[in-house]
Amino acid sequence: MKPRSLWVFHLNTGACNGCDIEILDVLTPYHDIERLGVKLVPTPRHAHALLVTGPLTRQAYYSARKAYSAMPSKPRIVIAIGTCACSGGIFYNSYAIRRESDRLSLEYPRKGGTSEFLPVDIYVPGCPPRPEEILYGIALLRGLVKKKMGGEHYTVKELVLPRSQFNAWVELLLRAKIRREIGYFDGYALLKDFMELVEKSNSPEELGKMVELMKKRIKDSRLRYGLEMLYKHYIGVVRMYESILAEKKVVLGVSK
Amino acid sequence: MIGEFERTFGAVLEKKTLGKKKVLYALRVRQEDFPKMVRFLLSMPTVRLFTMVGTDERPFEDAFSVTYWFADWREGEILGIRLYVPEDNPEYPSVASFHKGALWFEREVKDLLGLYAKGLPDPRRLILSDDWPEDEFPLREDFEYYSSPLSERKPQYLPKIEGTSVHAIGPYHIALDEPAHFRLFVRGEEIVGVDYRGFYSHRGIEKLARGRMNYNQVCFIAERVCGICGFCHSTAYAQAVEEAAKIEVPDRARYIRTILLEVERLHSHLLWIGVAAHLTGFDTAFMRVWEVREKVMQLAERLTGNRKTYGLVVVGGVRRDLLDYRVSMIEKFLKEIKKEFDRVVDFLLSARSFVERCRGVGVLTKELAREWDANGPVARASGIDYDVRRDFPYAAYPELSFDIPVYTEGDVLARAMVRIDEVRESLSLIEQAIDAMPSGPIMAGFNEIPGGVEGISAVEAPRGENVHYVMTEDSNVIYRWRIKAATYNNLQTAPDMLRGYTIADAPLIIASIDPCYSCTERIQVMDVGRWEPCP
Amino acid sequence: MTKSYPFEPEEAPPEYRGLPRINPLLCIGCGACTNVCPPNAVIRIDDCSSGTRRIVLDVGRCIRCARCEESCPTGAIRLTREFEAATDDRNDHVEVVEMKLAKCRNCGSFTDYTERQVHKVLSIIPPGILDFERIRDKLPLCSECKRSLTIINASRVGGEWR
Repeated sequence: MKPRSLWVFHLNTGACNGCDIEILDVLTPYHDIERLGVKLVPTPRHAHALLVTGPLTRQAYYSARKAYSAMPSKPRIVIAIGTCACSGGIFYNSYAIRRESDRLSLEYPRKGGTSEFLPVDIYVPGCPPRPEEILYGIALLRGLVKKKMGGEHYTVKELVLPRSQFNAWVELLLRAKIRREIGYFDGYALLKDFMELVEKSNSPEELGKMVELMKKRIKDSRLRYGLEMLYKHYIGVVRMYESILAEKKVVLGVSK
Repeated sequence: MIGEFERTFGAVLEKKTLGKKKVLYALRVRQEDFPKMVRFLLSMPTVRLFTMVGTDERPFEDAFSVTYWFADWREGEILGIRLYVPEDNPEYPSVASFHKGALWFEREVKDLLGLYAKGLPDPRRLILSDDWPEDEFPLREDFEYYSSPLSERKPQYLPKIEGTSVHAIGPYHIALDEPAHFRLFVRGEEIVGVDYRGFYSHRGIEKLARGRMNYNQVCFIAERVCGICGFCHSTAYAQAVEEAAKIEVPDRARYIRTILLEVERLHSHLLWIGVAAHLTGFDTAFMRVWEVREKVMQLAERLTGNRKTYGLVVVGGVRRDLLDYRVSMIEKFLKEIKKEFDRVVDFLLSARSFVERCRGVGVLTKELAREWDANGPVARASGIDYDVRRDFPYAAYPELSFDIPVYTEGDVLARAMVRIDEVRESLSLIEQAIDAMPSGPIMAGFNEIPGGVEGISAVEAPRGENVHYVMTEDSNVIYRWRIKAATYNNLQTAPDMLRGYTIADAPLIIASIDPCYSCTERIQVMDVGRWEPCP
Repeated sequence: MTKSYPFEPEEAPPEYRGLPRINPLLCIGCGACTNVCPPNAVIRIDDCSSGTRRIVLDVGRCIRCARCEESCPTGAIRLTREFEAATDDRNDHVEVVEMKLAKCRNCGSFTDYTERQVHKVLSIIPPGILDFERIRDKLPLCSECKRSLTIINASRVGGEWR
């Protein structure tokens, strides 16, 4: 039977506070989880469900177990909030973490966290999860929404290589450069547009004209700056390539 | 501080300069002089114990080392004194025996490295779990980060003070957001003593960084030291590495860091003001303050990709740029936040129930704040005019102007007022930083981090100073990383604030230092009843 | 002003760092992401007997720092804007990309890199810099054979010089 109004107790097993504050946040006006009948209670004795956060430290383990056994025997729902509670998170194999499973193995799904000592009903990953993510988890438990995740196992034979030879090489070099100029997030998207120009153009001069045209279209000053830098580095790579080729010819000439 | 110290003691010390106004002295002979040096330093009115680092230096020095770092906030100088502790006789003279602020440091080194301070007033376990064996020390080099030896569980509580009863709070309690175990010794309603066991959130972060990660991965675990002031931690860590490796951070990156540091301060202070209203029973204000805070969270999400863990700082700069549209978004959000914040604060401070509940409660005198090395809003509410942003400038703060609110009352209301004023300063700082932000790259180019170099850096987090110390090793690994969070010192003042007040005041007083256990998680068993005044 | 989510759908902002996904058409199995991932949410499992490599991504371990996206040379792993990852079964969080390891052309055992990596390496060599044929001869060789071949070549070259 799906639960209706959940009374929850918040159990922190050594979390960094991020998830705990987001749990508090879903109680405030923007998200107001009480719409779903959820109420935060001050003791596990009144709780239907535990909202567990944290990677389960060794010191917290004993009290956490006690809190679980203090709950009424039914329904005793356990909701793991956050990546740490789902699988130990970034702390998964530290000496201070309570873990029964092997600490160095390459198993999957990755082990650790709440499921090391309690049967978990719903996992809500995120570091920290957005308030909406927590709402979604509770709604899933109540049967209000459908599950969206499903595991994937790909064994695709086909391989797509969007660019080849010189352009592929340039793209790799420019990736490292643009990361320093405007960052990976905006930079990689910009690089993609730039590489399309490179593919279209026949010479660096023609590319220069196309870049100028594109700069006129872009309103954002930082993107214009990034484009300028991309073109500068591109010319640098072309010059380097040419000099390598020239040197190589000389060397070959001598050996002949 | 450095000049005077050198004139008095320079003869017996080996000097190493780490950077501008930062020196490290090694004391290899005559360790018995060490307490004299510390007393000399702490007798200066603006010198504080900054942090203390214990390191297993056996691979290259054939001994452990213990380094006490002092900071002179008027001169902006940082000075370290390093003692070498041999493995066969792991003892060194205690500072905690005459300076309260060193107590946790020395207990921590005992737990994690097995080095004993001669004369340590309270040698009980501080950090490791109750079921940890006596003879295993996780920060030693021969201990693998993933091993986790179990032993019998032996909690070490203080005996009850005669004539009192015990009122237990926690580890899980509705007034605490994080697990921590307080045992209040009460006579009737009055609190006469506090026994405290914390470190429920000790996650072995420093060892993980040593055992599993390279220097850039550490930025992300640094961010997860604390879910509220994580960005301060990752910035402090990156700054320490940059200082050690002499990496010049691009100007634009410094400004972006500053803007996000202030955004984080906004959300943290608003969070606290809300919680304070809640604890005084003023839930309407709690909800309204958090409504304003939600705007800050949405802004952070749009700027960085996440509401809380910004994931922005790496060694050498930042990972995301502030495009023009993001800058104008900041301006728009700031305008709304400012307007709503003024309204909410007027509403909060016009409520006598809130103001009278906070006034005169949990008083911390300036002298006590000094003894415990309190910092951040707690110190500034007790009349200590100290702020890392001004006194040890970093990021873009030297180029911006701001006021530092200082109150002298030392009660909960003063701590609230400091934070309210700081929110306004933060808003103005962000505006200034946006206007002055230069163009250019956002990350420095460098090859690799050299081995065997050290750096120390501090960031003014919403709660006070976060001090990070870093020693590197070859092949891009950090050899020793030491985090000191603001709450580390501030929480130790809690017994002095609690003494003489009633149980009903306790949650409000504890919350008034804005404790962050996950940052600190190195909690001691405090005992106000038995604590002898410093000689 | 209270949101109507979850009764009405909501999208995360375009800047949001959400759940990571691997595009199996682009992934070459180089393992760059597994080296930078702070919580080891992406791992690389080689099975030398069947000659397969699995790149395993567990979003239940992922801290969404986007370091993988930053380091991926082909742009195969990306952080999406999705955030609704709650589930009752941890297997739902796992994404596996399986591919073939390259076979050593000398001894026939499996090498420690994938066929796709060989394709990628051959595709990014700019013409004229390196002798294409010679590189293709060297790929794919397992590390054992590569070492012995290098020694043989070195001794031959040394002999000619003398």
